[in-house]
Amino acid sequence: MAITGRLTMTNQTSIHGILAEFDSVDGILHAAEKVKQEGYRKWDCHTPFPVHGLDGAMGIRQTRLPWLVLVMGFAGCSGGILLQWWTNAHDYVFRISGKPDWSLPANIPVAFEMTILFAALTAFFSMWILNGFPRWYSPLFRAKCFTRATDDRFVLAIDARDDLFGEETRKLLESLSPNTIEMIEAPIEDGKIPLRLKGMLGIALTLLLLPPAMIANARFTKSTQPRVHIVPNMDTQVTHRGQEASDFFADGQAMRLPISGTYAQEDDRLIGEQVGFWTGKENGAYLSSIPMDVTPEFEDRGRARFGIYCSACHAVNGSGQGTVHLRAQELLSKTWVGPTDLRTDAIKQQAPGQLFESISNGIRNMPSYSSQIPAADRWAIVQYLKESL
Amino acid sequence: MNHTAPTYSADFATAAASRLSRAGFLCGVVGLAVAIGLGLAEGDHMRHFWLSYLIAFAFVLTLGVGGLFFVLIQHITGAKWSVTVRRQAEFAIGTIPFLAFLALPLLVPLFSHEGVEEFGGLLWSWVHPHGDHAALITSKVPFLNVNFFVGRFVGYFLIWSLMARYFKNASIEQDKTGEHELTVRMRTRSALCLIVLALTYSFAAFDLLMSTDPAWFSTIFGVYLFGASFLAIHCFLVLSTLYYQRQGHLKKMVTIEHYHDLGKLMLAFTIFWAYIAFSQYMLYWYGNIPEETAWYLIRITSPWTNWSWIEPIGHFFIPFLGILSRHIKRKPPLLGFWAFYILVVHYIDLYWLVAPNLYPDTVPFNGVEVFALIGVVGLFLWKYGQQAKQHSLLAHRDPLISDCLAFQNY
Repeated sequence: MAITGRLTMTNQTSIHGILAEFDSVDGILHAAEKVKQEGYRKWDCHTPFPVHGLDGAMGIRQTRLPWLVLVMGFAGCSGGILLQWWTNAHDYVFRISGKPDWSLPANIPVAFEMTILFAALTAFFSMWILNGFPRWYSPLFRAKCFTRATDDRFVLAIDARDDLFGEETRKLLESLSPNTIEMIEAPIEDGKIPLRLKGMLGIALTLLLLPPAMIANARFTKSTQPRVHIVPNMDTQVTHRGQEASDFFADGQAMRLPISGTYAQEDDRLIGEQVGFWTGKENGAYLSSIPMDVTPEFEDRGRARFGIYCSACHAVNGSGQGTVHLRAQELLSKTWVGPTDLRTDAIKQQAPGQLFESISNGIRNMPSYSSQIPAADRWAIVQYLKESL
Repeated sequence: MNHTAPTYSADFATAAASRLSRAGFLCGVVGLAVAIGLGLAEGDHMRHFWLSYLIAFAFVLTLGVGGLFFVLIQHITGAKWSVTVRRQAEFAIGTIPFLAFLALPLLVPLFSHEGVEEFGGLLWSWVHPHGDHAALITSKVPFLNVNFFVGRFVGYFLIWSLMARYFKNASIEQDKTGEHELTVRMRTRSALCLIVLALTYSFAAFDLLMSTDPAWFSTIFGVYLFGASFLAIHCFLVLSTLYYQRQGHLKKMVTIEHYHDLGKLMLAFTIFWAYIAFSQYMLYWYGNIPEETAWYLIRITSPWTNWSWIEPIGHFFIPFLGILSRHIKRKPPLLGFWAFYILVVHYIDLYWLVAPNLYPDTVPFNGVEVFALIGVVGLFLWKYGQQAKQHSLLAHRDPLISDCLAFQNY
């Protein structure tokens, strides 16, 4: 048994700890048992491979990591659900084809992913933190016998910061018949980040602050320049809104009408005679009645179609205070022209044919709905507007 | 390092297996007799009894074929942890030829002319297409007809029985010869067998259970049943191991670590089952296409609503939270409780898959189901016990057994 390392402390160095090297699993297991019995707390074993029973011999408690993962998993799950509730069902209500504003099945995939994301990231980073990472360097690396701890030797290291650390410690280790005992001296500045690295980190952090600073700047200043397009998507394609002018076509309109002779296949009513059913007009005058049988089913259908197609702008009660309107007011209050209040006399007095025409062809900045709503359903909406709203 | 591997001795549990076998036989005969009696008393052409029998049969089929999946997966992955419990799964797959015999009574509702006018077939309404979907179902007749149906099941059971025979016998042969080559050969062959098994089991799931509503289809149905089966076999192995340990066997050979591993796979496949079940539900919910949602509509409307709630809560949330903690997985009696619980909800799941198709307006569940299940599971245990009577409970000369016993969970 050879003993290396200086015992005396100099002014420049302090003792970091003491190492004992063993050449068998049994040796380190026995040593670990003894060190545990003596009541040491700040010590560790370094082995080239996982040694069965070492955790028990060292008296290592079960990690608390699972509890952290559990709590954060639940947090991710409820956070995911809360996020979807707030964005889809509370702050800006999505109404899509008559589905409920808030429905759990649609939210489960996101909640599931968030649970896993939170749990996995917590497991990964908590494991780092609990193990004292990130740590670039340990004074143990300087010990001569430590080089074989990743190869064929088993090393037990007791930290000098342990309350029981002293001359007794060396005697204890000697009694365990190790190959070698080695003292490790740690320089006083040990553990400090080098100045050069600090500088580099500072520069990197400053650079990292630039993008958020630029975003904050853009958020609170006004500019006449178009906004920066990082992801252009299809924002700048050449499109026209309903009722806009266009130089491209001879009639000056952006919206196109079906070419002459086109007729809808949904119904064979338009064979010559019932032009009013399709246009709302007969001989240049608006129809004064609905050209269909008004049944309870027809009225129900009108209410349902109104809910699906119209209520997003005109609101369910026809007041014109629909979700799109409310949101548009928040975003561009000055330029936005709100939807018409459908309950006013000006609307109520219009002939059914005129209302039908407005839905079919659009009016002011409301686009045409003839491609989305079949004619019979448009009449059902007219019926609903006239009689029930 | 060069050292001689420790040797392990065979573990014959003849007495314990005989007891299990006898009790199973008794339960089987009494259970089925009572179920038939109760079924006859209902005077519905035995339709209710056949439903109960079908579900009970599907239940033991998930254990038998689930065992085959288990054995194949252990071989293809070269799994070391499972060597000491694998023999019990090999006994389970040894029952597959007997399961084919248990399937024979189902020919009665298939060929019976009783109730055909009323229901279109006692269990499978495609036997005699009628009602609103007659035209749709008639278009499926090239696949769904009685002869091809029977032919397919002959094929499935032939393939499964051959696989089961090979893997069981090879493992038992190793008990005698200790030949390492057998392990290598089983590993090589397990790859192709797994592909064939996955395909045949998927189609068997379509045929046996999904076609009770011939208008409905779900391509994930086979995966759903696989998930349920793989979950069930792990639960079964926990209970079986607990039984043999109580009887004084496998004492040192199955440790807390093995229970822990079985528990981890129970947890994993509880989640996998929920993942598949929810995937199917959510796509249909989103698509909202009448021909697909009809299947769920009868399940989420009265009187099946409450049964349907058992699925997400009883089959996922409760067992998920129940076996999440490692402390529970490492306490065999507690894990045994959860294994039993999961097998109960597994039965409810199978029942929920089929019964509403035949009885959309009532929940027919009563003593017939209970006694049919006791009967069929009893007969399964009878055969299971007979296998265990003849062979060692432990694949004691498997080359991986030392690794299996050295393994520890952290």
